Amino acid sequence: MNKAGKGKWKVSTTIIYILLSVLAVVYLLPLLWVIYVSLKDDKTLFVSPWAMPEHLMFENYSFAWTAGRLGVATLNSAIVCGVTLILCLLVGSMAAFAIGRLKWKLSGAMMTYFLTGMMIPVHCILIPVFTRFSRMHLTNSLTGLILPYLTLSLPITIFIMTGFFQSLPNELFESACIDGCSIYRSFTHIALPLSRTGLFVTGLMTFVANWNELLLAMVFISEDSKKTLPVSLSKFVGPYNTNYSQMFAAIVIAIIPTIIVYCMFSNQIVDGLTAGAVKG
Amino acid sequence: MKKRMLSVLISTAMIASVLAGCGGGGDTSAPAPAADEGASQDTAAAETETQAPAAGGDVEEITWMFWDDLNATEDLISIGYRDTVERFNKDYEGKYHVNVVTTNLEEYYAKLNALVAAGETPDCFIVSPGPNLDVYVDPGIAADLTDYLKADGWIDTFNGGEGAFSQQTYDGKIYAVPLNIAAACVFYNTEMFEAAGISTMPTDWQGLLDACEKLQAAGYTPLTISAGTAWCLSMLAGYLCDSEGVDLAAIDSGSASWLDSNVVNATNKLVEISKYFQPTAAGDTNDVATANFYNEEAAMLIQGSWAIAQINGSNPDFESKCGVFAFPGTDGRVIAKSDSLAMSAKTTHPDAVIAFMKYFTDDTAQKYTAEVGGKIPVTTVEYDASKAPAQLAYVMDVFGSAKSTFGFYNESMATTEAGAFFDDTMVSIYLGTPVEEGLASLEDFYKNNVWNK
Amino acid sequence: MDKFLRDKKAIVVFVAPAFLLFTFVLFVPICQSVYYSFCEYNALTAPKFIGFENYKQLFTIDRTMKIALKNSMFFLIFSVVTQLVAGLVLAGLLTNIKKGRDFFKNVYYLPCVLSSAALGLLWMFVFTPKLGINQVLAQFGIEGPLWLMDTKGFIILPMWVIASVALWQYVGQSMMLYMAQISGISSSLYEASYIDGCTRVQSFRYITLPLIRPMVATAMSLNAIGALKFFDLIFNMTEGGPNHMTDVLATHLYQQGFKYFKYGYASAIGTVLLVLCLIVTFIINKFVKVDNYEM
Repeated sequence: MNKAGKGKWKVSTTIIYILLSVLAVVYLLPLLWVIYVSLKDDKTLFVSPWAMPEHLMFENYSFAWTAGRLGVATLNSAIVCGVTLILCLLVGSMAAFAIGRLKWKLSGAMMTYFLTGMMIPVHCILIPVFTRFSRMHLTNSLTGLILPYLTLSLPITIFIMTGFFQSLPNELFESACIDGCSIYRSFTHIALPLSRTGLFVTGLMTFVANWNELLLAMVFISEDSKKTLPVSLSKFVGPYNTNYSQMFAAIVIAIIPTIIVYCMFSNQIVDGLTAGAVKG
Repeated sequence: MKKRMLSVLISTAMIASVLAGCGGGGDTSAPAPAADEGASQDTAAAETETQAPAAGGDVEEITWMFWDDLNATEDLISIGYRDTVERFNKDYEGKYHVNVVTTNLEEYYAKLNALVAAGETPDCFIVSPGPNLDVYVDPGIAADLTDYLKADGWIDTFNGGEGAFSQQTYDGKIYAVPLNIAAACVFYNTEMFEAAGISTMPTDWQGLLDACEKLQAAGYTPLTISAGTAWCLSMLAGYLCDSEGVDLAAIDSGSASWLDSNVVNATNKLVEISKYFQPTAAGDTNDVATANFYNEEAAMLIQGSWAIAQINGSNPDFESKCGVFAFPGTDGRVIAKSDSLAMSAKTTHPDAVIAFMKYFTDDTAQKYTAEVGGKIPVTTVEYDASKAPAQLAYVMDVFGSAKSTFGFYNESMATTEAGAFFDDTMVSIYLGTPVEEGLASLEDFYKNNVWNK
Repeated sequence: MDKFLRDKKAIVVFVAPAFLLFTFVLFVPICQSVYYSFCEYNALTAPKFIGFENYKQLFTIDRTMKIALKNSMFFLIFSVVTQLVAGLVLAGLLTNIKKGRDFFKNVYYLPCVLSSAALGLLWMFVFTPKLGINQVLAQFGIEGPLWLMDTKGFIILPMWVIASVALWQYVGQSMMLYMAQISGISSSLYEASYIDGCTRVQSFRYITLPLIRPMVATAMSLNAIGALKFFDLIFNMTEGGPNHMTDVLATHLYQQGFKYFKYGYASAIGTVLLVLCLIVTFIINKFVKVDNYEM
């Protein structure tokens, strides 16, 4: 690492920064553009799509919120994703604990069984699950969404959590056993608290994936009061014309919670992903 | 011991799964995880509270399924329907109440069929006449409405009486009630036509081409159309096919072919006129194509009369410059489309449904249809022509002087898929697929999916 | 201790909920779906066994299926290759800078957490000739192509556009996985290589790449399956149009199943998709995955 090397380093670093900054613009510009379009009105949108709006149409937002019933949709999304998240973490880490920590012959086979779930596209189960659920009157209900969401989130949860549980030191469980702690208690009081990072990461991944899920929600839900956010976006597409600016306002409303959560936790997400990836 | 426990677990699951796998109707897989049942019931309970408060007691609840969101819509016809629903619910408060299930048009039939398959057919649903309605009439999903229509002279309020139901009648029985009629016409910019020196409206194919040529020479884009929204282009193709004497029924039955010279001629005409389209036609959606017209970037627009509301709403100054003429060269035939209501054959509240349907064809609703919605009313209602958009009168003229009407091409074919295939074929021919190749693929589709059934 | 960890009852209690859910909501429906693929079955009639008819039609007659297979394969190869290269390059670049690393990392990862339905609508709008990017190009006198409607060539332009948008959205995921793995490599290895006279590029080639190979396999399988399952962006950008030229297996399945209600036929497409996913995962794990190196 001599002086010449350092000089070279600086030039290459500048190039790297320029590349990265250009890319960052490519990433942020479209998102800013959504906000920009959402503040225009449909008429000027067609005449001069790129001109600055004469006056900012904040009413697009209130219209999108009330007419699109985005409040209800957000609540539905929150309920579905929240319940799925909690159940998924519970059920998933229970199975992961049994596979990663407990000793039984079929644990490897069971892991493979769950992991095949990662390879199965949701489209393959769409029709059977749909016909069955509609006979059981589970379509058009949030339960009908929670069940498949939960199931589809399990493989990745089990995958990551098994890695975490396996990495916990044996001594912990030995001493717990000696202290007369039951296996259930050692799960809830030792394994779970020590794998908080893993729970956090899987929880977030589950939540994000389900928050954005479109296909199942679109097929399963027809009643307006049960629609989730991604489905509600299509409300602005009418039979003969589309309210673009209001649709974009709805898009902004739909993605803002995710962006806020992401900004708040971005470092934990990244750290957690790192931990999860290395362990997994 | 361990083995036993596991084998019990696995075999229970397997038995259940086998049962679930073959037991078509029996819900043997019902014992789904009990753990989340409780939690999700809570959410379900929380959910019902957000629904429209159902009136108590013996109110008869019915559902109506519709293809546009009644709150988020800007479509004036949909807004009119919303008013109708509100009027009905208010007038019959305590007796009947209608709940509306909405989707957007894209997913409408998928959703409706899903509900039918689940045994939850909505009491009343909107449907386009043609193959879409066939689907519900043939297996007896839609109810026969003839007796209801004839019982109290309801049918006589319709313009033309029984004749108004020609598209909804099967073996002499009426299965759906039309709500309004839209006719596909050519809308044109009178100023541009004047500037290009066109004084008489084209009445035949050559006249249309000449007009396009003059408009182009005068520096205007002659025609705006959308190939991004396939049915828009297909509407033009439908007119061209009909003017060449293509007989869809004959094609459906297999006695005529998509490779016949009349279809080839019609398609060649489409290619011929496509040089007068706006340069972005291939990528423009219906909205953009219509906007091109009312923002005075193109001289002509071929659209259904529902576009009137959109045109005048977006650019009110344009109303006075907008003229309408019938698509030339069709021998007086006009494409017409009506929204229709059907009733579930299994509904337990037929009286409520009929009462609801009557609200759509009463004078208030039909007046709105003409005066605000810009569509042709189906009843003989007197409406204030001065309130109605100027273009409606022209459309009424076109419609009134039409010798006969025919449906949208894509809604008049053997199946909805065949209709979509026709649309797609026309788009791909416009985008550069040779005419023969495009029509051959359509012919193949009919061979494999229609004629062998 | 051993007895403690071999508690049969506990094992059953722990595994049962996940196992049952998995079996009923995933495994059984898959078996059903495979069965339906041998049936003539639509929304309004009961399934009727017809043997291999659906598959015969799928592979001999269905023109859209050919396009969908071609597009899915293109998508698969494109995203596996570009995600691998772009993900590694980004990870390599980011590990080489200190200032602003978190910022760039977060920005590139952001679209991964956003709804692809919403992003699909956004990009559809961007590529609309009259409203989007072509208007900007026109300012510079360039006539932009028909991004989503051009149908010339073997792999048509819209597919490249959609694939690039997918890369834009998901490359952050691969980048993150690679960065995670790189951060686990001991810095003493790099120091030793610099002493031996390695350049940064060389050390990336000879130290980083071999050491993150297991993660490459994982990331590749995730990308490959993601690419085969790909639905949201296409559905919102082109809906498979024009004339099915941008259909992939998933959109073809959706149209056949939920637009035309051919449940049996759509199940056959689903089965093809499933088999493809299994084959691809198998290949990647067979040829790319190696045992973990000690780090």
